[in-house]
Amino acid sequence: MTHHATLPRPGHGQWAAGDAPPPAARQGDDGRGPLPRLMPARPVPVDLDEHLGRFGAPPYRGAPRRLIGDVETAGLTGRGGAAFPTYRKLAAMAAGRGPAPVVIGNGAEGEPASSKDKSLLWFSPHLVLDGLQLAAEAVGSVTVALYIHRNPRLHARLAAAIAERATAGLDAAAVELIEAPHRFLAGEESALAGKASGGPALPRFKPPRASQRGVAGRRTLVQNVETLAHLALIARYGPGWFRSAGTPDEPGSMLATLHQADGRMGVVETALGTPIADLLRLPAPAVLVGGYHGTWLPGAQAERLPLANAALRPLGAAVGAGVLAALPGDRCGLAETARVVRYLALESAGQCGPCFNGLPRMAGALGELAGPRPRPQAYADLQRWSGLVAGRGACHHPDGTVRLVRSALQVFAAEIDHHAHGYCTGTTGRPFLPLPAEPPLDDADWK
Amino acid sequence: MTAITGSTALWYASRATGVVSLLLLTLVVLLGILVNRQGRLPGLPSFAVTGLHRSLSLMAVLFVAVHVVTAVIDPFVSIGLAAVVIPFVSAYQPFWLGLGAVALDLVAVLILTSLARAYLSRRLWRGIHWLAYAAWPVALAHSIGSSHDLRSGGLLLMAIGSALAVAAAGLWRLAGTAREVPRAERAAYVLAGTQRQARRARAGHGGAR
Repeated sequence: MTHHATLPRPGHGQWAAGDAPPPAARQGDDGRGPLPRLMPARPVPVDLDEHLGRFGAPPYRGAPRRLIGDVETAGLTGRGGAAFPTYRKLAAMAAGRGPAPVVIGNGAEGEPASSKDKSLLWFSPHLVLDGLQLAAEAVGSVTVALYIHRNPRLHARLAAAIAERATAGLDAAAVELIEAPHRFLAGEESALAGKASGGPALPRFKPPRASQRGVAGRRTLVQNVETLAHLALIARYGPGWFRSAGTPDEPGSMLATLHQADGRMGVVETALGTPIADLLRLPAPAVLVGGYHGTWLPGAQAERLPLANAALRPLGAAVGAGVLAALPGDRCGLAETARVVRYLALESAGQCGPCFNGLPRMAGALGELAGPRPRPQAYADLQRWSGLVAGRGACHHPDGTVRLVRSALQVFAAEIDHHAHGYCTGTTGRPFLPLPAEPPLDDADWK
Repeated sequence: MTAITGSTALWYASRATGVVSLLLLTLVVLLGILVNRQGRLPGLPSFAVTGLHRSLSLMAVLFVAVHVVTAVIDPFVSIGLAAVVIPFVSAYQPFWLGLGAVALDLVAVLILTSLARAYLSRRLWRGIHWLAYAAWPVALAHSIGSSHDLRSGGLLLMAIGSALAVAAAGLWRLAGTAREVPRAERAAYVLAGTQRQARRARAGHGGAR
């Protein structure tokens, strides 16, 4: 499957015609303001006229910093996965000295299991573009770009939207579209800065962070596109409105990509704190939370948990970029994880020894555990390599991969035991978790 | 052989510390190449190789400092303070001492940028560190050219040995770089090796099926 094919079209995902509405469709009816907020109610991309009719022009504040207080009160956090308070990034950028900063909306979700940023850009491009302008004004920037994976259809749509806005005089700063290569790590902040500076999209050592020295050496604010869309709504309706969804600690709504055990996939907008059982059709033997750098949880445990970091963090899991997958009962969790880890290993940028030496060895050992009668040595190797690579890369690729592997070893402990005796609970070898076709091993592939 | 007297002590000290400096700088270059190739010394973890490279380079700075100071204040020849850092302005042996000044300047830049490494980008530091390959031959030329000590006997053998060692290490580094798997292929290369190894181990283990 290519990234292109994962682009949701009208009639796919949450809004699939003729399908029963997914359980999440109920989420807005709890009296705390209707959802979806970001996505259109009907599965039709919002054009500029409709956008202006519904939301009006972007409410510029007339000077830098003025929006930041509202963002702080709203409690908006980064929706790219790290959940870092957005106001802190804005405030630090606005307070910094030197030339005006660069602001980049990050829509390059490298995660093959996530489609929410592509969906948002496809269906609600103008909310993202509003947010980009408002964030740029808040930090006093006039250099603005939108960073997406290479995708001709999405690119054409966004280029047209940007041109239309320019003609209408809506944008204070011209928006450049930057295309990222189809690599898992291309959306990593320092890789983004490298690509936007004209180099390859490779993660760099920090410091300096992009916020200190990013695109062409300038201070650079990188915000996930969904974060920007929320920001555009906070600027209009205020923090109180934003907080009317979600929990007091984790307010607002978020986009989630759901992979149901029956193979259906969709993007939904849900309030933070929504029970996972309301989003996925359970029971399932295990649930993957947070995507391929995320965590497996036993199905019985996930069933009782809300989609909120307060509940997930103590278990070593996190909401991340909102990927939830229910493992079908006829698949082997070890085999699924082994496929994913093999993919992650091959997505190593090949820069840091612990990563390009460690992840393929872990993938090899996990592949053996996923097969019949693995050598006991494979399990020991996997434990040892996990300890050796965690925390030792320029980016968090090794750490995220180790997190996934460790959770699989725990959640699928019984399965490991079965395999040792030559037995597997999976009855079909058909792959479940989505993976792109294998990338060519070419340096040009990172440009 | 002349006896060491009060008036010749500085001259002898300068020559001796010069020889030790050259020896230390040679070791620093060899260890630097070893660090670059992520090699090990028997019985030492890899961070200790890096530590040794750093410690010896700081020690070399001390010896070079004594070597330069004693040469300047020695009344035998007049060198002048400016000639220490500005090449080819010395009254005594302007060319060969000029090479010494060049080497000193290069070493100073290498040491200072390494001490300030936390404040520099990795690329800038790496780029500057390449100067080490220029500094060492210049220092060797200065040693041979400005003193007769290295032109015979044991010290000549030391100079030849050092040159051969550095040349061999340089070639080893070049060969290693040529053998290196391109960045984009590294993970796939390791994965293929791992799977090959596992297959062999399972065959030996009499593994399943």
